[in-house]
Amino acid sequence: MAIGAFVGLVGFSNAFEQAWMKMYSASGTDIAVIQQTFLNTSLDESATSKVRALPIVAQATPVIYNVMDLTPEVNALAYGWKADSYELQSLHMLSGKLFRDGQAEVILGDLIAQNLHKSAGDTLQIQGTSFTVSGIFHGPSALEAGAVILPLDQLQQLSSLQGKVSTIHVRLQPLPHGEAQDVYLRQAEAQIEAALPGLRAVPAEERASNNQFVHLAHASAWGTSSIALLIGILGIANTMAMSVFERTREIGILRALGWKRWHVLLLIQLEAVALGLCGGCVGILLGYAALQILAVLPQTAGSVVVTVHAQLLFEALGIALLAGLFAGLLPAWRGAQLSPVEALHHD
Amino acid sequence: MTNAKLQVRGLSKSYDGGRIEALRGVDLSIAAGEYVAITGPSGSGKSTLLHLLGGLDSPTSGDVLFADTQLGLGIDLDTYRSEHVGFIFQAFYLMPTLRAVENVQVPMLGVKRSGVDRSKRAHQLLKELGVDHRANQYPSQLSAGERQRVAIARALANEPQILLADEPTGNLDSVNTARTMEILTNIQRERGMTLIIVTHEDDIAHAAPRRVRMRDGKIEN
Repeated sequence: MAIGAFVGLVGFSNAFEQAWMKMYSASGTDIAVIQQTFLNTSLDESATSKVRALPIVAQATPVIYNVMDLTPEVNALAYGWKADSYELQSLHMLSGKLFRDGQAEVILGDLIAQNLHKSAGDTLQIQGTSFTVSGIFHGPSALEAGAVILPLDQLQQLSSLQGKVSTIHVRLQPLPHGEAQDVYLRQAEAQIEAALPGLRAVPAEERASNNQFVHLAHASAWGTSSIALLIGILGIANTMAMSVFERTREIGILRALGWKRWHVLLLIQLEAVALGLCGGCVGILLGYAALQILAVLPQTAGSVVVTVHAQLLFEALGIALLAGLFAGLLPAWRGAQLSPVEALHHD
Repeated sequence: MTNAKLQVRGLSKSYDGGRIEALRGVDLSIAAGEYVAITGPSGSGKSTLLHLLGGLDSPTSGDVLFADTQLGLGIDLDTYRSEHVGFIFQAFYLMPTLRAVENVQVPMLGVKRSGVDRSKRAHQLLKELGVDHRANQYPSQLSAGERQRVAIARALANEPQILLADEPTGNLDSVNTARTMEILTNIQRERGMTLIIVTHEDDIAHAAPRRVRMRDGKIEN
């Protein structure tokens, strides 16, 4: 169960991070401009014009992120974009049309539209305000497929963030011939930060893995998994302690036949590791099944694409192995300490 | 270790913080290849003496010497049990989850021996004891006599110099008792092994060339 929780939760948070990466790469965003301080996550929208003025910048667009309750059961990521944002180019409109700035209009990702049973022309209530669904789109990542996109000014108003944005996304001029990508990126970052004192320019890839949503997802996943793992370790330790107790006479026989203490220790440890690994394999299957369920649940479907990477599987098996080793330590030590005579006379 | 004699000097063993004295200053010398029966009433200390002779336990005071080497000092007890001693118990003590041939291989897992070699040796021993046809059966599928023969095969697995048997016929009928004793005495004679049997049964004790009678933790004769 512990490994299942680990695969499910960490797999979920990894999928969430990958969705952010995909969203940035699909839109062609190279750099995100954010606040330097962690607690203050908004910046002035007016900074966008200063970024646009830099020769190295091709396009810059202000963005707001928020999480909105759409129904009591369904909440979704909401993006506030300008109607002329270059990021809209990565979306494929399935029906209807784009929203207009200053209008109470939204476009819905196909997944969220399906969950909400909405189509173009319908009305959607967001925090007491009525919006017209102007269109349905398909996005390159699960984060867009499950998202609501509305005019920047509308989301600023809903979030009480007039004149503020979460980040400014920047698309750079094409890479000059012969220049290295990372050098070019560092150069752009330096120019943006020089133009906007107090703000940070971070590569999109770094921003994808290092934003509040991903941080929260990773922290929740690892925190919950750690508790589950601790319970799992105690479970294996209890099983092994019972096994050693029930097989005390067998241990006595082995010791009487000349098995050394470390042979007994190794035997019990190997059993604990085998138990951990078997549990790990079952847990991986359970975790994968949990991810499949999360991928179709309305509450989480927008954040999950079921892809379990080999690294996560190796991590899960490694943790299962270590859990078995750790859980087997005390029972193995106690088994190895048994006196052959006392163990032989055990009922 | 050509002269693998066993010697005990001033051997005492007490339990429960000294309140129970199982052995009180026992001195005994057993030559290599000797056949000895240890007899005495229940609680006389004969099994405790056998356990100490086999390195299953450590004395409270006194020494056990094997080939003039003190157990626990010159040779560690695990190595002594593994390489020089074979045990046969009244309750057989076979592993219930292992087949007969696997049970015979268990002591060989503690010494360097290839899997093929182990299997070959186990089958050879089972054949010598007339139970090779039962090699793939579990202990629960064997008769009491067959189980004891598998246990004897297991005791011989690492070619020990000393065979220690604690009431080896206690759970057997008269036919199997006679068969088991015939096997043990043949093995002792043919291989020149030291055989020490703890028994209640007079017939078995009298068949041994040397008898050691115990009472209240001491040797009577």
